[in-house]
Amino acid sequence: MTHELPRLASGIRGLDTVLGGGLVEGACYIVQGQPGAGKTILSNQIAFATAADGRKVLYITLLAETHERLFQALDTLDFFDRSQLGVTISYVSVFQTLRDEGLSAVVSLIRQEIARQGATLLVFDGLLNARDRADTDLDVKTFVAEVQSQAAFAGCTVLFLTSTRVAEDNPEHTMVDGVIELHNEMVGVRAIRRLQVKKSRGSAALAGYHQFEITSTGFSVYPRIEAIPSLAAAGDGVTSEITSSGTPGLDDILGGGLPAHSVTLVFGPSGSGKTSLALNFLNAASAEAPALHFGFYETPARLLNKARALGLDLDRKVASGALEISWTPMTENMNDKLAHQLLDAVRARSVKRLVIDGLGGFERAAVHRPRLVEFFAALTNELRAMGVTAIATWEFRDLFGPTVSAPGSEISSLLDNLIMMRQVEINSRYKRTLSVLKMRDLAFEPIIHEVEFGSTGLAIASPLQAVSGAATGIATLSDGTSFPGKG
Amino acid sequence: MASIVIAEDEFLIADVLAIMLEEAGHEVSTAAHGRAALAIIKGKAPDLVITDFMMPLMTGLELAQALRGDAELQQIPIILVSGAQGAIGRAHPDVFDAVLDKPYNEKTLLATVERLLQQIGKAS
Repeated sequence: MTHELPRLASGIRGLDTVLGGGLVEGACYIVQGQPGAGKTILSNQIAFATAADGRKVLYITLLAETHERLFQALDTLDFFDRSQLGVTISYVSVFQTLRDEGLSAVVSLIRQEIARQGATLLVFDGLLNARDRADTDLDVKTFVAEVQSQAAFAGCTVLFLTSTRVAEDNPEHTMVDGVIELHNEMVGVRAIRRLQVKKSRGSAALAGYHQFEITSTGFSVYPRIEAIPSLAAAGDGVTSEITSSGTPGLDDILGGGLPAHSVTLVFGPSGSGKTSLALNFLNAASAEAPALHFGFYETPARLLNKARALGLDLDRKVASGALEISWTPMTENMNDKLAHQLLDAVRARSVKRLVIDGLGGFERAAVHRPRLVEFFAALTNELRAMGVTAIATWEFRDLFGPTVSAPGSEISSLLDNLIMMRQVEINSRYKRTLSVLKMRDLAFEPIIHEVEFGSTGLAIASPLQAVSGAATGIATLSDGTSFPGKG
Repeated sequence: MASIVIAEDEFLIADVLAIMLEEAGHEVSTAAHGRAALAIIKGKAPDLVITDFMMPLMTGLELAQALRGDAELQQIPIILVSGAQGAIGRAHPDVFDAVLDKPYNEKTLLATVERLLQQIGKAS
């Protein structure tokens, strides 16, 4: 029989997921990381969340820095609430007690304070100073063990903060229930903050590194999406339903439309019509099938302008709430943060029609590229399981050329359907074309079609005239004559 | 010269305060929390007490209330020096003779000390 341990919610977005449900009540954790890694903000945010939950917190420091300075720094963060100081959260220093009377006096003081305050959470900042004061490793071990057992007896969760890296064979490490390590490191020119739960007794934490950020709202952790036990396990969303692509003529070529709960990759060079195809798809949004445009390139205003120019009234869809346009500039992003934002936005409005414009926005944000396959697998599985029909775009690097690069063969194989759009040069004229390369479970027409822009957006016209080499963008007439100027 | 007891858990603040008051000619004792301060005050019956609010074992408010409840010590003037609990202190004018917010100014503190000592006829 499995037994769920009672948990203390951390109040930090994403952290409880990484911890496998939150901090274990009465358990003892080491929070370690270099100065500036975020230990103080993490622990204070947990402290204020615990206090907001109606529980008492004891924050004990062994640091030289005054509490007032700490409060001044915390005052820039939304969770900090001065009115709780001395009421639900008490900050006390035991430096003098340690200096004058030693570790055992500190233990006694902590025991009395936990009882006096009725504390549910104890934060002990400055374990390193306790180590300095200890004569032997055994003293530190005894100190940690005593604080731990007294806190556990009172049902009080403990966070020991330390700026040293406590080695895995250190006594403290072997004794505590969990170790949370915070890293702040450089990857190329950018700084990356990431968190790792190195030890988690009695609960299945999400292993590995998880990126986090510290903003005015405090700490936010973005668990690696491929490490999260998935919704997709409940069902992969397979259905025989068909969703209209919204583009005149396209559904016929697709074998009826887009399979519902599938992900379609529309790839092609810049200017080939990918965004226009996506706008048609969004234009079919309704109250029953809400749509989301999750993009990196155009701002919502530019996108709506583009739609207007094509004769599509997306403004009305936005006004009615049938369509949401979410724009993230292609600056310094974190791909798990993007993925969580996307999944949250889909969940919030039960989105059925999704456009991701484009997958390159995620690829650029990736710090560790080898995981992109697993990342996209988790993301697309989740979207299918949520009943979303998605179109994702991917831009070719070259406008014309013999090599056609989909986003990595493994990533392409994670996607259900592939549609290629190109500008093809035939007899000194450019024609836009569309070809369906792969459809999940539908018999599609394997014929290159011409694309035209009608009065209401992009439409599929007749099959392209007989040429060869259209897929490279440079066509040769199939009767054997090459076009002027070539050969 | 007056005898002053400081109750303050943060050693940096306690040290600075003690030096400031000693340089002004007073005799100073410090305690790292309210309970230790109460023991010293009972033994010394000082002229003035300066206390922090948040401290282990006994808060500044609890210390002040203990002194006000003690027939022999209830007349000792008490200054609360606090970062965040100034408002709580001001809500108890019966127990605190003055409330200063941290970070405080040296002149303000010394002037407050002098004023309270004058009231009990102990001014330097």
